[in-house]
Amino acid sequence: MPRIARVFIKTGLIYFLASLILGLAIEFNWLQFPGIVPLFWHLLMVGWITQIIFGVSMWMFPGRTREEGFKAQLWGWLTYIFLNMGLLFRIVAEPATYVAEAELWSILIVISAVSQVAAAVVYIIELWPRIQSKEQRRKQRKKKRQKQKAKK
Amino acid sequence: MPTLSRWMIKASMLYMLVGFTIGALILISKVYPEYSSVWSLLSVHIEVSIFGWIIQLTMGTAYWILPRYLKTKSRGNPRLALVMVGLLNLGILINVASYLNILNSTATIIGRLLEVGAVALFILLHWNRAVSYNM
Repeated sequence: MPRIARVFIKTGLIYFLASLILGLAIEFNWLQFPGIVPLFWHLLMVGWITQIIFGVSMWMFPGRTREEGFKAQLWGWLTYIFLNMGLLFRIVAEPATYVAEAELWSILIVISAVSQVAAAVVYIIELWPRIQSKEQRRKQRKKKRQKQKAKK
Repeated sequence: MPTLSRWMIKASMLYMLVGFTIGALILISKVYPEYSSVWSLLSVHIEVSIFGWIIQLTMGTAYWILPRYLKTKSRGNPRLALVMVGLLNLGILINVASYLNILNSTATIIGRLLEVGAVALFILLHWNRAVSYNM
């Protein structure tokens, strides 16, 4: 399993646990804080489900780069950074906006929102060309081989 | 990857983009209440993110990745699979149109029925593909 998939899955597992702890906290009045319900749902559906979908698809879908590293898997790593930056900023800023009026929280919320959309965009950039039929894969490989031969 | 899975996975990505964008607008409106009208899109956000993105992606991937029938090497009746994709997406779009008041609010009954039909076909197509080839 490539490093990026492992990082996505392990991060997803942490969000899974965190979301269920929040879900449990919702059941007790004295443990609740403002914005806990949307936070619970988004940690579960984005932090856990979407995150493991991203990680597993980057690993299992055909045509992945075997080479490890940020440059070699640029779109994948950008997806990870944008998604988790967006989630972390939301975790911090959303409850804070209910208790303290500061421009900083609004800015963090906007960055969080934009960052998560950016994650969706770069994920599509990474995965879209990899959604291919066997025939398309064969043709792509053939082209690659021909290019490599021409270089030599 | 079969054509049908490619359609479903690509469609799910487009739904994800729409779902994330609406979600981002709703999140921003929490700190800029002057844009609170985007809250009317909350049902669309939930519909496209859960049915369009997560459910459609899982169904499309399962159709591709579950073991094929040993004798025919097929994934079952391709026409039924095509109907499954059609029903699911028509159901989602009808629900979205209803939430946007393009269709009557009772149209969601039809939308949900179509989604139920798609899931029933999904089960029918995949039940016998959840197998082990070990003797």
